[in-house]
Amino acid sequence: MKLLKLRRTFNEGFTNFRRNGWLSFATVIILSISLYIISFTAILAVATSIILTNIQDKINISVYFKQDVGEERILEIKDKLIGFQEIKSIEYVSKEQALEQFRKFGDNSPSISQALDEIGDNPLLAALVIKAESPDQYDLISKSIAESSYSEEIDKIDFYENKEAIERLNSIMGLIKKIGLALGAIFVFIGILITFNAIRLTMYAQRQEFEIMRLVGASNRYIRAPFIFEGIFYGIFSAVVVMVGLYFTSMFLAPLTEESISGGNLATFYLKNSLIIFGSLIFSGILLGTVSAMIAIRKYLKI
Amino acid sequence: MIRFENVSKIYPGDFMALEGINLKIEKGEFVSIIGHSGSGKSTLLKLIYAEEQPTEGHVYFNDRPIDSIKRRLLPFFRRNIGTVFQDFKLLPQKTAYENVAYALEVCDETKEDIAEQVPEILDIVGLGDKMEKYPHQLSGGEKQKVCLARAFVRRPLVLIADEPTGNLDPSATLEIVELLLKINTMDTTVVLASHNKSIVDKVNKRVVELENGKIIRDSMIGKYNV
Repeated sequence: MKLLKLRRTFNEGFTNFRRNGWLSFATVIILSISLYIISFTAILAVATSIILTNIQDKINISVYFKQDVGEERILEIKDKLIGFQEIKSIEYVSKEQALEQFRKFGDNSPSISQALDEIGDNPLLAALVIKAESPDQYDLISKSIAESSYSEEIDKIDFYENKEAIERLNSIMGLIKKIGLALGAIFVFIGILITFNAIRLTMYAQRQEFEIMRLVGASNRYIRAPFIFEGIFYGIFSAVVVMVGLYFTSMFLAPLTEESISGGNLATFYLKNSLIIFGSLIFSGILLGTVSAMIAIRKYLKI
Repeated sequence: MIRFENVSKIYPGDFMALEGINLKIEKGEFVSIIGHSGSGKSTLLKLIYAEEQPTEGHVYFNDRPIDSIKRRLLPFFRRNIGTVFQDFKLLPQKTAYENVAYALEVCDETKEDIAEQVPEILDIVGLGDKMEKYPHQLSGGEKQKVCLARAFVRRPLVLIADEPTGNLDPSATLEIVELLLKINTMDTTVVLASHNKSIVDKVNKRVVELENGKIIRDSMIGKYNV
């Protein structure tokens, strides 16, 4: 019996959706735009935060020691530094390792290795590569090393200055979130309004059916359910439209984001997470549709 | 079965539609409510099928005050009552069969039950051969018969007919009245509102006359005019 009711009201809802024609189309479009803006912002925010972590991971301070400082002494200093809370990790790079890296780096340029061979002696310095717990602590670390008791033994401190870039990215992300949230809220509102209106029109078109349904004793749930289903259809169709829209957007933006997200660009990120994205889209679509339908029912459906 | 106790109904704008109504309708009765337009006939009927609630007093259905029924349960209460109106209220895009079936569908009857009951009831009202016709292909009298079939298909305890013959010619009117009498013999209480003298006289049963929202006459066997 329950199933029968579900099937009948579901069919009614779908018929409403179909008969509304252009109105359904317009509703789906507006609802899609709302969902698109929200989900695009969300994806952008997630992608930016992934890019940020990637970049943050690449920052470090390299402390180069003078030629005459021995390995034992450097390791001693390393042990001292490891006690600092702000320091996440310290890696010791010996002269030999540095040379090797340098050669590897200059792989395709024979002139570099030629030059190195000519010098004969290893010109590179041993170094400690320090990573901080958080990007805003690099300043502090490099300063305190420069002012330390062993500063005489240090040749130079190289602070790979990405801080500004990170800060800029951070503020951009904040802005994206704010704008997206505001736009999203506005469009959610518009989307609900539009869906609500479409359902209201269906109700108006079917006022005769209602009257009859009530007179013959159809339960309230039976009368309401088709409109909830109608709302859900708007939501689901919009979710599908947005899914396709987002796919093209990510393809369009893919070249811009090449290699910035681990394992590829925005398109691969989108495809990899498409199930989650689609799931949340369907969920929010259904939620929006249901809320709109409920408002319309509350306002216009006299039981 | 139906009891009005000191019922008044005031519509917004201080319009007093009914005033101090006391009325008792027994099971199996056939009651004609008569009076001029605006005398409160329709309001009285609406109070029975819970379309309106009384401003004062109570309407009891089987000793239970209707206004105490929870909104959620109102539809189930309404299943006890069949209704027929002057303007038919048929769905134009559905056939006679479908219009009657609709009343069963919305009450969760299975397709099999519907297929069994609908032709049977359409036979009773004499439309067995016009089941597949759409309302616009039917005459006024036939439309009202479909409505009667729809109202009666669930075998309600009470059938309420609000000016059922208002739009019909005399011969169709007669047929409808005869059907109402037939339904009444099948143990269904019938409450008929009309200002048509000839049908009330033809029924020749209890008559309740309203004027300005008050009962001015209640005669057990009556004619339109005393």
